[in-house]
Amino acid sequence: MNYLNRHTKALEVGLSTDSVRLRKRLLEITKNAGRGHIGPALSIIEIVDVLYRHVMVNLEDTQSKEWSRRDRFLLSKGHGCLGLYVVLEDLGLLDGMDLSNFCSYESNFGGHPESSTVPVIEFSTGSLGHGMPVAVGLAVAAKLKKESWRVFVVVGDGELNEGSNWEAAAHACKHNLDNLVVIVDYNNMQASGEISDVLEMYPIREKWEAFGFKTIEINGHDRKELKRALITSNSSSSPLCIVAYTVKGKGIKKAENSSVWHHKAKISAEEINALTSDLTI
Amino acid sequence: MRQTALQTVYELAKQDSRVVFVGSDLGAGTLKEMREELPSQFFMEGISEQYLVGFVAGLAKEGFIPYVNTIANFFTRRAFEQIAMDLALHNLPVRLLASGGGMVYAPLGPTHTAVDDFALMTSVPKLRVFSPGDANEMRELLVHSLNDPHPWYIRFGKGGEPIFSPSEQPQPNKPKLFGDPRAEILFLTTGILIHEVLEAMKELNKSSNNTVGAIHFSELTNVEFEAWAGRYQTARKVIVAEEHIPQGGLFSIMLRLLHGNNLDTRKMVQSSLPFAYLHNYGSQRDHLSAHGLDSIGLVHRARVQ
Repeated sequence: MNYLNRHTKALEVGLSTDSVRLRKRLLEITKNAGRGHIGPALSIIEIVDVLYRHVMVNLEDTQSKEWSRRDRFLLSKGHGCLGLYVVLEDLGLLDGMDLSNFCSYESNFGGHPESSTVPVIEFSTGSLGHGMPVAVGLAVAAKLKKESWRVFVVVGDGELNEGSNWEAAAHACKHNLDNLVVIVDYNNMQASGEISDVLEMYPIREKWEAFGFKTIEINGHDRKELKRALITSNSSSSPLCIVAYTVKGKGIKKAENSSVWHHKAKISAEEINALTSDLTI
Repeated sequence: MRQTALQTVYELAKQDSRVVFVGSDLGAGTLKEMREELPSQFFMEGISEQYLVGFVAGLAKEGFIPYVNTIANFFTRRAFEQIAMDLALHNLPVRLLASGGGMVYAPLGPTHTAVDDFALMTSVPKLRVFSPGDANEMRELLVHSLNDPHPWYIRFGKGGEPIFSPSEQPQPNKPKLFGDPRAEILFLTTGILIHEVLEAMKELNKSSNNTVGAIHFSELTNVEFEAWAGRYQTARKVIVAEEHIPQGGLFSIMLRLLHGNNLDTRKMVQSSLPFAYLHNYGSQRDHLSAHGLDSIGLVHRARVQ
C-alpha cells in the first residue's frame, strides 16, 4: 500500500466517542486564547490517548514510588500540545490545573508544553528536533539503571527535516535501544504545505530501517492498530519506529489536510463553534 | 589542563556511579583506562553535537552527572539551542568540558577558535560559566562540580600552564587576589591570561613607581563582589584583560556589576581580542602578542595614560 492510500485510509477511519469528546474539548479551550496549533494536535490525539490510556504505566501520581518506574513520553513536535493537554485532563492527570485558560498570562499551559509548569509533562519541547536525542539519553539511562520502563517519543514528519533526529536515530541503533519507541506522526503536511512540496520524506519506512530500526506502518487514527503496535513488546534488540499515517486536522472537514490550520491566531468564537459543529463522527 | 580534567572525571567516576564521561569522536587514547575499567560510564559518541547535548540531558534527567568533552565552539555555536533548551531550561547538572578555549586552536583558523564563548554562554540563564587558569583550579572546580545542581560550561586552556593556585581550594570559584591591596593599577582577568598578568605585574613592580594588583575570576557567573570592592575603589586605573571578543565577556560583566554597585566605571579599560574573524594562524601566543594581551602588551597598557 503506498502512502497516498494509507492517507486515504486515515482520512476514512471513523472517530470513537472518546476521540470526539477530546476534540470538542480541544476546540473549547482554544476559545479564550483564540489561537493554537489545531491541525497538528488533531493528528496525534489517538496516538497520545492510546499511549496514556492503554499502554504507558505508573503515571497516576507524580508523588508515588511508582512514578520513577513510569514509562516516559516526549512530544517532540511540541506544537501539537493541545492534543496532549486534553488527554492528560481527560485522564485526571493535571492535578486540578485549569486548562481553560490556555495561553493566558498566568496559565500553566502554553503553546508548547513545559515540564516546569505541568509536572506530568516529561520534558519541555517546542523547537523541533530536540525530543529524539533526549529520548535516546532517557532510554540509555533506563538500561544503565537496569529498569524496564520504555521511552515513547512522537515526532512530526515535517520535524524530520531537522538533522538532529537522524543523529539520534543512528545512536539509538548503536546502543541497541529496544526500550525506545519512535512514533512518526505522518500527516503529510507541514506549515507551508504538503511534505512532498517542501522536503520529501518518502520512502519513510526504508529510511528508518536503513538506520537499523524495526519499523512498522499503521493507521494513526485507528485505535485497534495503535494498541496492537504499542502494546506488543519489541522482540528485536533494535529500537522500534512506528510510522503512523494520520491526517492533519483529523475529524473536522474544514481543517483536514489544510495548512491554514497548522497554526492560527485571532480565531473567533464563531469560527470555533463552526469547527465544533463540523466534527465528523 | 585537559589531561587533569579528564583524569579528575575518571577519579570522580570511580567514586560515584552517577558520573559518566561522554566524548564526541575524541582522540583514540582518550581515557583508555576508564573505558576499560568503567565501560558503562564511558560513552564515545559520533560527531553530532546537537544530539550529544540532548543525549546527556536525557541522562542527567534520570540522575546521572554527565561530563561531556568536545571542542569549545562545537558546543557553543553548533549546539547553542540544545544547551539553552535541553540543559539550562531544565536546569540539569551536565558539565560541558570545552577544549581549546580562546586562541588555543589558532593554527586551525577561525572555525576552531573560541573567542565568543563567554558572550554566548553567559547569556543562558542557570548555566554557570568557568574559565580556570591552571590545572589545580581545574581539578578543584571539577571536584566541587559533583554536587552542584546547575549545568556548567568550563573553558579549557591549552595545557602545561604554570601553577599559580593552591592544590586544595575550599572555594575554587572565588576571585583570587594578587599584589598590593591598595594597588593603583589593578588587572581583572580570567583563564590562562592570569599568567600574562602575573608576568606583567613583576615587570611593573620592577620598573614602575605605581603599585600593582590583580584579580583572577575562575567563574564568570555569580561573581562575588564584596571581597575585592575595596581594591577596585582604591585603584586609579583598572585593566580588564580577556582572551575574547570585546562584547559579552569579562569587561561587559564587570561594567554591569560595577555600575549596579554605583561605582565609577570610567577608570576601566579593556584589553581584548578584536571583534573580527582572525585570518592569521600561528600560535595562541602569537595572537596574544599581536593584540596586546601578552605581558609586554599589558605592561604597555598599564603605562599609557
